[in-house]
Amino acid sequence: MLKASALYMVIIIALVIGVICSSLIASAYFYRAQYQKTARYSLLQNNLTSGINILLAGDDTTYEQEKTFSLFQTETDTVTINRIFWGLYDIGTVKAFIQKDTLYQSLSIAHTLDSGKWAVLYLPDDERPLAVSGKTRIKGNVFIPPAGVNQAYIDNQAYSGDKRLIIGKIQNSQKTLPALNAARLEKFKELLDQKHDTISILSGDTLQNSFLQATRVFSFRKKVTTLQNICLKGNIILFSDTTLTIDSTASLTNVLVFARSIIVKSGFRGQCQLYATDTIGVGQRALFSYPSCLGILRFGAITGKPTEAKINLQSNCSFSGLIFNYEKAKNVFAPLIDIGKNTKIKGQVYSQGLLEFHDQAEVDGSVFTATFLYQTSFTRYENYINNTTLDESLLSPYYLTSDLVPVATSVKKTLQWLDLK
Amino acid sequence: MVEVVVAMAMIMVVFSLAMMIFANVSQSALSVKKVQAEAILRDVLLKASQASGNTTQSFNVGDFRIEEVVQNYQDQKNLSEIELTAYDVNQNKVATFQQVIISQHE
Repeated sequence: MLKASALYMVIIIALVIGVICSSLIASAYFYRAQYQKTARYSLLQNNLTSGINILLAGDDTTYEQEKTFSLFQTETDTVTINRIFWGLYDIGTVKAFIQKDTLYQSLSIAHTLDSGKWAVLYLPDDERPLAVSGKTRIKGNVFIPPAGVNQAYIDNQAYSGDKRLIIGKIQNSQKTLPALNAARLEKFKELLDQKHDTISILSGDTLQNSFLQATRVFSFRKKVTTLQNICLKGNIILFSDTTLTIDSTASLTNVLVFARSIIVKSGFRGQCQLYATDTIGVGQRALFSYPSCLGILRFGAITGKPTEAKINLQSNCSFSGLIFNYEKAKNVFAPLIDIGKNTKIKGQVYSQGLLEFHDQAEVDGSVFTATFLYQTSFTRYENYINNTTLDESLLSPYYLTSDLVPVATSVKKTLQWLDLK
Repeated sequence: MVEVVVAMAMIMVVFSLAMMIFANVSQSALSVKKVQAEAILRDVLLKASQASGNTTQSFNVGDFRIEEVVQNYQDQKNLSEIELTAYDVNQNKVATFQQVIISQHE
């Protein structure tokens, strides 16, 4: 019996061994394939990091077409890097590839703060002292006129803050405000001077464009437009030659907007850079997350009736980023930044002209202004601050700024990781 | 009797084939040593991103000797190129990493 079935038993054992061997070979193959994939991904990730470091610290800071090069002159280290001007910041894109395997990363790049130039308050020397009243608190190093700082009694309120008036080091300021970076302003001018003739229609309720793709530009020309019930995210620029209204139902993330005037409705929430030539009005309870920007840019002389360049944030707003104004040619009206009651700014305010704070306004960061303005129903005070908090210690130590403002170092860091593919 | 001999021959052939396959698969399997060396190099690379100036140094981590070479990257003042190589006890190259890092000397 045993003798008769020996061959069958051997065949069955051989089959079992065959199955085991096949599964062994298959598992070894898949394991090896997976390992090679991981190793290749790791190498690509390494090259991607190298590309990012070159973008952040390389000597070449030009905005040219993308460049493809070998990192270490070997076969598996090719990267493509590109730098895009994106308002206050730069956007870098890096692509690392080996044959058909590719990794992409885009990031926004900002600058660290120069502690030597940084100040909670910079008020140029116009031979007048700074006057504080009410519950004003100024904490941090300041540059103020040699005339110093005095207590004042305005609007039926005496000064009731810290006895030191300024909690920090006091240094003398220069006659003029430190200037904004001319090179970045020139980039803004170039962007604004480009022709955006085509009227583009924003259709649909959501548009997201990666920084790894070409910029989507929408120009409304002279058509008064309201952005509502729309979500725009990423590599998108909106241009308008007239007033552009942004409703609270619109959501803007990392988008650039250039218009003659911009009206932001109450309750808006977003993270965007808004630039106007005339006015920017922000309604109550608006919330701009970091990094956002509100800026007035005037490169040419005003033709026709002179108008006041004004940025106005109404009460209870929260803003994180930079608010600034720039006028190349001097206008009859000094540009004004008006910060409403209970409005809180985390970041920087730079005003070439006037800066007005209403009750309980707060800046956690830095204020550079030519003149402070305080107005009551009957009187207008210059270089007076009332019931306002300026405190640099409340700003995040990780805060990064743009090289547009005069407190940035040349050291660049990653501000935001944007797209990873 | 012939059947038994054939069966024996067959089982011997099958076993020897199986052993050959097993030996081949085990031989070409990934070395744990290589994976370990790569993990160590990754860790060293993270710490070395604080490196400054042109340096060449060698140090031991576990069973591996790590050779670290930091040099200026393409004459750019703020960039350095770091090359890390791990050698085993027999001085065979196990893994290598190369990356451009930001110099800390500014």
